Amino acid sequence: MIALSDYLILGAILFGLSVAGIFLNRKNVIILLMAIELMLLAVNMNFIAFSYFLGDIAGQVFVFFILTVAAAEAAIGLAILVVLFRNRQTINVDDLDTMKG
Amino acid sequence: MAEFWEFIREPFFITLWIVAILVPLLLGVAYLTYAERKIIGYMQVRIGPNRVGPRGWLQPIADALKLLMKEIIVPQNSNRFLFLIAPMISIAPALAAWAVMPFTDRLVLANIDASLLYILALTSMGVYGVIIAGWASNSKYAFLGAMRSAAQIVAYEIAMGFALVGVLIAGGSLNLVDIVQAQQGSLVHWFWLPLFPLFLVYFISGVAETNRAPFDVAEGESEIVAGFHVEYSGMAFAVFFLAEYANMILIAALAALMFLGGWLSPFEGTWFESWFAWVPGIFWLLVKTSLFLFCFLWFRATFPRYRYDQIMRLGWKVFIPITIVWIVVAGGLVVGEVGPWFN
Amino acid sequence: MGFERFVFYVFAVILVYAAARVITVRNPVHAVLHLVLAFFTCAGLWLLLEAEFLAITLVLVYVGAVMVLFLFVVMMLDINVSPLREGFVKYLPMGFVVALLIFAEMFMVLGVKNFGAQAVAIPERHGADYSNTREIGNVLYTDYVYPFEIASVILLVAIIAAIALTMRRRPDTRSQDPVAQVAVRREDRVRLVKMKTEEKSG
Repeated sequence: MIALSDYLILGAILFGLSVAGIFLNRKNVIILLMAIELMLLAVNMNFIAFSYFLGDIAGQVFVFFILTVAAAEAAIGLAILVVLFRNRQTINVDDLDTMKG
Repeated sequence: MAEFWEFIREPFFITLWIVAILVPLLLGVAYLTYAERKIIGYMQVRIGPNRVGPRGWLQPIADALKLLMKEIIVPQNSNRFLFLIAPMISIAPALAAWAVMPFTDRLVLANIDASLLYILALTSMGVYGVIIAGWASNSKYAFLGAMRSAAQIVAYEIAMGFALVGVLIAGGSLNLVDIVQAQQGSLVHWFWLPLFPLFLVYFISGVAETNRAPFDVAEGESEIVAGFHVEYSGMAFAVFFLAEYANMILIAALAALMFLGGWLSPFEGTWFESWFAWVPGIFWLLVKTSLFLFCFLWFRATFPRYRYDQIMRLGWKVFIPITIVWIVVAGGLVVGEVGPWFN
Repeated sequence: MGFERFVFYVFAVILVYAAARVITVRNPVHAVLHLVLAFFTCAGLWLLLEAEFLAITLVLVYVGAVMVLFLFVVMMLDINVSPLREGFVKYLPMGFVVALLIFAEMFMVLGVKNFGAQAVAIPERHGADYSNTREIGNVLYTDYVYPFEIASVILLVAIIAAIALTMRRRPDTRSQDPVAQVAVRREDRVRLVKMKTEEKSG
């Protein structure tokens, strides 16, 4: 049978990978957004694993809320990205150094 | 040996089940294409296919054989892996959704709680096949078709999801068997009556989701050649074709289950109900599904293609408000225990 | 090795592979597709944890909606990838070290010693009559009803914000006004003119 630690370690690997992704792709906003989604996925995995192993449904309710907020975050993030690209023709983080829009 | 049989028994029977569902389904798809050509033919005062076999009955088999023999051409500079996997991505959800489809109250492969949610999730994945096909083809027409189709599917997905929300409020369950059983009584007890606007929205959204005429701008022969599958040939093309027709049958069967009482007899509650007691439930489901499938073909023969901005307007500005209003009404009907449906 | 363990490892390997590809591939479209794969396998893992509702919701919301949005944006924007890849090699050791550190710390806390099969008992599987959807619904609409309402408000705000941000009026484009088109009456378009029949010439 699979123990709780297996799921938690899988979640930790996922989280580590997404942190590495933020370091590696620090110029590409899209990949940054995706790395954040991955991070949330790792967190959700831990929540659900704890919920199952401790027999408490509240963990799953929390995942439900995280999914909601993450979906909202992705929608707004992408909207900002589109507006950014429309105004600057770039999504390179380095080029976004002026305050004037 | 006995131990091994014990281990293999359940997977074995499940596999048998899957074969028993998929073989009739794929045969149904083959003969749906035949029915389409025949019905539209007669509507346009032609005869339709009539050369292969008696009355052209072997035509779909001949077509399938022809497509099997043809070469699959992979365009230059396309992404070979994605190009070849796209048809599979498009057919897999269309077939996997049938796993939870109830044929009668006991005849269902996987009677899971959230079967409606499962079907909604899987049908929403069908769009990937289209997008990946359009992108991997490295062709402008294909890409335009894919983008059109993706935007259209996302828009109508919302209207469809809201229509299903109304159904699950009325049925009080996410389980398709329970939803059908909540419609027991008679023809007027079926959900098409209390949820009539949702019924219309669901079916029209279903036509749009499957990219069928009059919503077939993703293919739009007169504008973008054949849209997302312009570069596909042979079996790869046939698989897209299969997926489209399997999705049509799925939408029709779901409409029959959720709004027309599924396997329930239409003569329930009448004085001659007992005359039809011997008819198996699956027969009624088939009849109702065929009715919707006929409508699919009828639409194609009747309506001219929508303009793209009109499609978007219909989806976002007409259907979604209608469904939201009717969800509130349905909630009111359920809470107020309005008869004869919810008391 | 039981079947369940086998399924877990298959999913875990695919998940880690997909996540690694998301952060390393060159083409953003491939990154999105790998992320879709990651979400999908994750849904499979959640099914092993008897969280059917959330697993299906993950596929519905993320794979079916959010990632389609990502794909759309990535495909529509004409992005020049090469300047965005600058510094990838330069930061590779740094990122690797940080990720490894985070993983090592987590491993020490979350490892077999504290959360292994001996420390936390593996619960019995629920019977066929257990409904995960019903359980979640039971608490969601009672104990968590206010957070639930707030979540819906957050979604509404997100919808309005996304539309307000990306909406732009373009007065120079020529578009039809469907309302005006539908409201057209016969009198506006057709004018009947009474005139004498032409005489035959010659």
